[in-house]
Amino acid sequence: MSAGVARGNAQTRIGRWWQDWRFHLSAVAVIVPILCFPPFYTLAMQASGKAGLGAREASELQVGPFPLKIAEFNTDAPIGQGVAGDRKVFSLALCKGCEDRIRAVYLRVGKPRSIRAAGALFNGPPSRMTTDVQLPGSISVNDGLWVTVEEWDGTVHKGDIAIETASPATAQWLRRKEGSQK
Amino acid sequence: MSDAAARPEATKAKTRKKGGMARLWLLLHGWLALPIWAYVFFICVTGTIATITHEIQWLSNPEIRATRPAGVEERLGADALAAAVMEQQPGARLQSISWPVERHFATNVRVTDQNGESRSLYVNPYDGKVQGEQPTVDLRYFTRALHGWLFAPWTSGYSWGWYAVTILGIPMLGSLITGILVYKKFWRAYFKPRLRIGKGARTFWGDFHRLAGIWSIPFIFIIGLSATWFLVEAILSDSGVTLSTAGIPTVLERNVIPEVSLQSDLPPLSLDATIAAAQAAHPGLRVDSIFLPSNAFSPVDLFGRASIPLFSESASVNPYSGEVVKVRGMGDQTVVELVTGSMYPLHFGDFMGVWLKVIYFLFGLLLSMMVLSGMLIWTKRTTKETKAFVQERRAPQLEPGE
Repeated sequence: MSAGVARGNAQTRIGRWWQDWRFHLSAVAVIVPILCFPPFYTLAMQASGKAGLGAREASELQVGPFPLKIAEFNTDAPIGQGVAGDRKVFSLALCKGCEDRIRAVYLRVGKPRSIRAAGALFNGPPSRMTTDVQLPGSISVNDGLWVTVEEWDGTVHKGDIAIETASPATAQWLRRKEGSQK
Repeated sequence: MSDAAARPEATKAKTRKKGGMARLWLLLHGWLALPIWAYVFFICVTGTIATITHEIQWLSNPEIRATRPAGVEERLGADALAAAVMEQQPGARLQSISWPVERHFATNVRVTDQNGESRSLYVNPYDGKVQGEQPTVDLRYFTRALHGWLFAPWTSGYSWGWYAVTILGIPMLGSLITGILVYKKFWRAYFKPRLRIGKGARTFWGDFHRLAGIWSIPFIFIIGLSATWFLVEAILSDSGVTLSTAGIPTVLERNVIPEVSLQSDLPPLSLDATIAAAQAAHPGLRVDSIFLPSNAFSPVDLFGRASIPLFSESASVNPYSGEVVKVRGMGDQTVVELVTGSMYPLHFGDFMGVWLKVIYFLFGLLLSMMVLSGMLIWTKRTTKETKAFVQERRAPQLEPGE
């Protein structure tokens, strides 16, 4: 017998099958990309905006004079991102023609005290901006999701939407967290 | 596999002479890849295809080519190109422009329309004509995602698919080292190559495995090392360790943003002036791509290949004043950052033009065949044993009266 990996001397039918086929079984790994492709493609369509503003129908939100649309990027509960905390992505569309007046839009959970604490800044073109908001441990499901609009001339407007409306999964996640803390 | 394994009649004597170590290396060499050969083969084949997908697209789709129209001599500057594209895409917002390093490819212009849909357009760099639109998942992205992370999700930190692929760098380096150790005086085969055809499959695949192996030593080393580095990068990133000295992304202070009542009151942003400002601040900066600000407080970002094509440089410019707020030249990066940055072009073979990609593709084919031939050597070697064994077992079963 030569050196190297030996074939083995199985006596049973199944043992012999194992000897002959064991090294080919990794071909089964091909199933992984086949199974992973549909969600991968869905995500690519969402990320490019071709699947709409968000995962569900966008909610209308009036902030000062501006009618905005807000939607959650996906229908999942917030995801823990290590030191960055639990985070959730939202998309926002400005009203058509409003982009000339609007300098920045911010998002946070709970009413902001000032523009300095307005929360996460939305990024991207006016027809589909996104932001990644942190959900601190102290918040409650009743705090509401607050959008702050800052105009180029410095005027600031605030508006809010219930977490339950903007993201049912986040509301449920918060309620579960609150329940476990009691 | 060893020389001895290629000549069964000489096996016994030779292995004894070689001693225990060679036997151990051969055993290790087999166990490193044989049990997962089909998976490794799959990754090697997809990686091989990935090196030339851009060229496949160029050959199969005229929209992606930078064909010079008759009568046009010069390529358009960034502003003229952007203006031409926006004229053809009314209502859309410009997001970025990328000029492929290989100049026979069309310029890539990314825009978002009024419905919030982002599209990447193939634009002729000479006349600014929009030639086509890149599919959301095109052949290049499909192949890279399949090869790089098996389409597994990137939910939090690196995808588990990334780990599943990059971990193969370890058995790949291991196979290389044990393969060299087991192949005594392999350098002699550079002068006396041997590929025996007509002496049976076992002999042929053994010769092929050794011959392809010795010629692929640098390639396998590059691929194995860079893959292992990608694994280390993921582990560091997911455990919160950063090697970057780039700092947090540049945010423009409120006091540098002009006071106007409407955005349209701002002077229009000139891309050409932005590029010129960056190049004045960092002479020799190559601009391969330009990203427009994603919000009112972010700068224009410019990226380009450095004078040594394995590395890259970048600059950030204040869009309101044209002031350069950040430059990251080669000299501003640490050795670790430069090494990290160079691993990607080294792994893809994308730093010396098409001819290197073709060389990578050919070596990729060889490496894929090495995996396959390694397995074939094992099966052919054990087929004899199997046949003998099965006949031995079956013989009594076939006796009448059972």
